[in-house]
Amino acid sequence: MTILLSTVILVLLFVVLVYVAHASELAMVLNGEDKDTTKASRRNGYASLLFLIGFFVAVAWSCKEYLPALLPKSASLHGVETDRLYNEGMILMFLVFILTHIALFWFAYRYNESNNKVAYFYPHNNKLEAIWTIIPALVLVAMAVTGMRVWFDIFDVSKRDTKNMMVLEVTAKQFQWTVRYSGKDNAFGERIIDKEHVSPENELGINWKDAKSHDDFFADKIYLVKNKPVLVKLGAQDVLHSFFLPHFRVKLDCVPGLPTQFYFVPTLTTKEMQEYLSTQPWWQQVNPETGKQKWETFKYELACTEICGRSHYGMQKDVVVVEQKEYDEWMNKQDSYYKTVVQPTLVGNNNIPADKVQALN
Amino acid sequence: MQTVAHGDVHTQDTHHGDHGHHDHHEQSWLEKYVFSTDHKIVAKQFLITGMMWAIVGALLSVLFRIQLAWPDETFPFLETFLGKWAEGGKISNEFYNALITMHGTILIFFVLTGGLSGTFANLLIPYQIGSRDMASGFINMLSYWFFFIASMVMFSSFFIQTGPAAGGWTAYPPLNGLRDTAISKGSGLGFDLWALAMVLFIISSLLGGLNYISTTLNLRTKGMTMFKLPLTVWSFMLTAVIGLLAFPALLAGVALLEFDRLLGTSFYLNDIIINGNLLDYKGGSPILYQHLFWFLGHPEVYIIILPAMGIVSEVISVHSRKPIFGYRAMVMSLSTIVVISFLVWAHHMFVSGMNPNLGAVFMLFSLLIAVPSSIKTFNWLGTIWRGSLRLNSPMMFAIGFVSMFITGGVTGIILGSAAIDIQLHDTYFVIAHFHLVMGVAAFFGMFAGVYHWFPRFYGRYMNETLGMIHFWITLIGGYAIFFPMHFMNDIPRRYYSFANFETFNRFEDMMVFITVSAIIVFLAQLLFVVNFFYSIFKGRKVEGEVCNPWGSTTLEWTAPVERLHGNWPGELPTVYRWPYDYSVNGRDFIPQNEPLKPGEVEHQ
Repeated sequence: MTILLSTVILVLLFVVLVYVAHASELAMVLNGEDKDTTKASRRNGYASLLFLIGFFVAVAWSCKEYLPALLPKSASLHGVETDRLYNEGMILMFLVFILTHIALFWFAYRYNESNNKVAYFYPHNNKLEAIWTIIPALVLVAMAVTGMRVWFDIFDVSKRDTKNMMVLEVTAKQFQWTVRYSGKDNAFGERIIDKEHVSPENELGINWKDAKSHDDFFADKIYLVKNKPVLVKLGAQDVLHSFFLPHFRVKLDCVPGLPTQFYFVPTLTTKEMQEYLSTQPWWQQVNPETGKQKWETFKYELACTEICGRSHYGMQKDVVVVEQKEYDEWMNKQDSYYKTVVQPTLVGNNNIPADKVQALN
Repeated sequence: MQTVAHGDVHTQDTHHGDHGHHDHHEQSWLEKYVFSTDHKIVAKQFLITGMMWAIVGALLSVLFRIQLAWPDETFPFLETFLGKWAEGGKISNEFYNALITMHGTILIFFVLTGGLSGTFANLLIPYQIGSRDMASGFINMLSYWFFFIASMVMFSSFFIQTGPAAGGWTAYPPLNGLRDTAISKGSGLGFDLWALAMVLFIISSLLGGLNYISTTLNLRTKGMTMFKLPLTVWSFMLTAVIGLLAFPALLAGVALLEFDRLLGTSFYLNDIIINGNLLDYKGGSPILYQHLFWFLGHPEVYIIILPAMGIVSEVISVHSRKPIFGYRAMVMSLSTIVVISFLVWAHHMFVSGMNPNLGAVFMLFSLLIAVPSSIKTFNWLGTIWRGSLRLNSPMMFAIGFVSMFITGGVTGIILGSAAIDIQLHDTYFVIAHFHLVMGVAAFFGMFAGVYHWFPRFYGRYMNETLGMIHFWITLIGGYAIFFPMHFMNDIPRRYYSFANFETFNRFEDMMVFITVSAIIVFLAQLLFVVNFFYSIFKGRKVEGEVCNPWGSTTLEWTAPVERLHGNWPGELPTVYRWPYDYSVNGRDFIPQNEPLKPGEVEHQ
């Protein structure tokens, strides 16, 4: 009913508008077209000026209101660098945006035909054009060079602190993340992707005969250690997914059949981040749903950023950054998947999983 | 006086003779208006089909914006219209993905490529170069009808059991590479129809492009050298060059994708495990598809924006009563964009898992392509400086184009930097960037063109009052929709809901604001459509012997108000001067076909 009503109102509004518009057109013919277009130009000149001011006020207001709602400072080492690039770039671009818009709408006002009867024939000026070719070119090359340095820093293998590094394996599928830790031996059991090893019970194709797999465990949350570099080895089973840790400025696609990896160093524990946010006015606001201040429910999260099907938006996982001690305690509580799930199903000493035994029978 | 190569004159003469023959042959209604080979009718066909598509594409965005603004509410009327796709009045997550996929596909290909290039290249190339029609009217007609069939196939996919394609307009495998509706409903028949429609669309594009290039190169009238061409013609021709080089890569990409889907090949698939079952595909790479796709996909954005740039250059110059500033620099920057547009595609793939060294190269070119774009921007500003601006609908839309192009363009420089892109990739910041720079901006260019050349299409003006309402709502509303998205620089795009995340629930009120703005802007576009059809029948008529309502120099305005088959009743006009003689020698404008006065020096 409301829909019908609003449609009727809308149609009526359109009809009225068309009539008004038609009438003003007739009036224009009566008044003489030249006079009328000059008047329209003057009106639009003022409107341009008004728009310029209104636009800047709206931009300033939204900056004041929403900049505090941006993600907090980076919780990873390289993120500080990319944030710096982003901020510097945005300030520069904001300046360009402001200056060109002042020129554009000011000119529209200042030189509209009611203010400036005769145009100035000025077809080109090579010096000016050279200036506005060379300056942007230099600035852009400078941005490319500084940006490239940061880019290579992030992906350059040779600079990695591999000794003290923690390795994590994350495999994505519709619509969940499987997180595998290598356990105490710091080595993953091998995976073999063939029909013998991959099964509904063993989607990753882990070779349980490989002893290194015996202390591997799957975690329902990603635990990381403060200041300990982590290498995430990424993969996907079915379709493309993308591993996104917004607070750590980490993003990389998970590709079926093609391993990818991302190296980063978390620098703030979850607690430290919460403490920092508790000092920020925006995060002190009370969330009406939970009755708590926003920083209290803050957590690091993992999200998928490559469209992967109907529940793409549901691929969430918690990420927790702790001190080494707390991490060790957590790790000691984790059960080896092999010992708790796989081994009990094995028959005899031949290490054949139960489902395969049934197949043999 | 300019001398012309003999061959040129000859071509024109033959063509003229051809035309004379046609005059005596009475055309049936079907030949004249449906299967027409006349460039003006083909242009109208593209324009009106494009407008229909624009309404559909925009409506889809209103639907998914409703979901984003009010994820917990239900709207019973949605179920009335969409049936099982919105059970209980709530759009399903499957259908949400279909909506965003089709919104992108329709607007990028069917509106801003087919609709924009198809309309204005067809209308303006023959008129502005002083030719009776396209090089091949028949191929031109085929180009439209392939576009029409492609449209029908694409549209039909809305009405099938499993729904339209739902894997994003980029159609990445394996999501779209496996013909398995368990993975996604849209990867069933809906995607096959998508692929078929795209193939037909590419054929249409290539046929059109061949015509634009050969017409511009071969059918210019006497005296019309390349550097006497208006910037519109330059931009249409260069757009066609990009299309001819880039679209075949997409055709190959889509063909291989269908091989994987239908014949079981493994071009893009490797080690796929569905529900614990390893499929037989081995050795392919999903990243190969991304390279093929973006080899078209990035030049595609220039296919969209170049015609808009050409239109805006022309409109700004005419309504400023001033020559375009730096004509040759404008031509050079267009050509530079054509070259560099083929060297930037992998900036869409910085975090796809491709080799990081490759990323560095693409980053350099991605930033450098901003140089020709900034030259153009400064030249537009230089053109309106000290002009005598006639601020009517076409001019305001052209100014709006420059504004949108700047605002959307500057963030492109941020996104082109690979290290920054790690965080920003596939977030709302990207949506803000590309909608402003090639979505809204290209629409502004298209509107500027429609308001400006409407008298050439129909011999009448569009209504100014409605035009102004349309302009100001669209300008303010366009910014209201996309400017706030810059703040959402970590919120993933293509999300049906953010309820599962603590992190992404920070902009709920902004989401509502954006949706309300989008609905208002959508209604304003309907007002444009009303204005368009109203003005065809009731608009103020253009007066005078020839149709030259704006006091323009270019040749399309030297023809009579009636749209004759063959454009000019007698001989074709001869060109003596460049297209931008405005406010020179004490005169408001001097048409291109007016001979130089004794002692007058030709503009270089």
